[in-house]
Amino acid sequence: MNLRLSPQTLIVLDAFLDQAEEWKYGYDLSRVTGLKSGTLYPILMRLAERRLLETAWEAGEPGRPPRHMYRFTPEGLRFTRANAPSRSTGNLGKVALELGPR
Amino acid sequence: MGTPRNLAARLLTAVLRYAPPESREWASAMLRELDFIEGDWPAFFWALGSAAAIARHAASNWKSWNSNKKQTEEEKMNSTGKKAAGVASGAGLALLLAFAGMGMVQFIGFMIPGLENLHWPHFLGAIIVPEIVFVVSAILLWRKRPPVAVGILLMGAAIGVHVAVHFAMR
Repeated sequence: MNLRLSPQTLIVLDAFLDQAEEWKYGYDLSRVTGLKSGTLYPILMRLAERRLLETAWEAGEPGRPPRHMYRFTPEGLRFTRANAPSRSTGNLGKVALELGPR
Repeated sequence: MGTPRNLAARLLTAVLRYAPPESREWASAMLRELDFIEGDWPAFFWALGSAAAIARHAASNWKSWNSNKKQTEEEKMNSTGKKAAGVASGAGLALLLAFAGMGMVQFIGFMIPGLENLHWPHFLGAIIVPEIVFVVSAILLWRKRPPVAVGILLMGAAIGVHVAVHFAMR
């Protein structure tokens, strides 16, 4: 799969690895990763287009607008475990720092 | 609702309205998140970043659509060019064969005196044999190289009509 694993993408993938089965929201991801919406959403879009993430609208309480949420597809989880150095191997931060901003 | 948040909501609503269909879901997602952002200025900067992300997404989709369209047009032009070249080469081959047939008739007439006064060797060498060759080769080539077969048939028909008119006039 042709996916550029920038340091920011690695950080987002790492955030998804935390309780990978659970749905996550855009703003929560932004707070966890420290990425601004202009950086985070293009990454989410790319991951969703490559079917590494699945997206859904949360059926919220009546009167509240639905919220968009994201989580790994099985393929996304496999890809991340195979390609992205994760917190499970304990070297994500190191790799992201070594790659540096592009 | 403070002014920056108000501006943010207006900006993202406008983005949602004018976003291309493939970016609309994302624009809507960014707008919904606005309700969960604490603070007016963070909401404003969220909206700015989101608008930039949608603009980039729309631009990259437009770019890929445009390059796909260009590629399809080039493929179409290449395909038309190849067909035209096939028809031209078929017609050229047929013309060569016709000239060869007529040359052979002339040569035989030169080698065997008296034969040039007869009509049937001319018919045979200039029409019947070349036309049979044209039809057979067109049938054989029809599946593999249809443009070449069409070229041969077209030239064969033109030569046949020309020779028939020539003999009829005489």
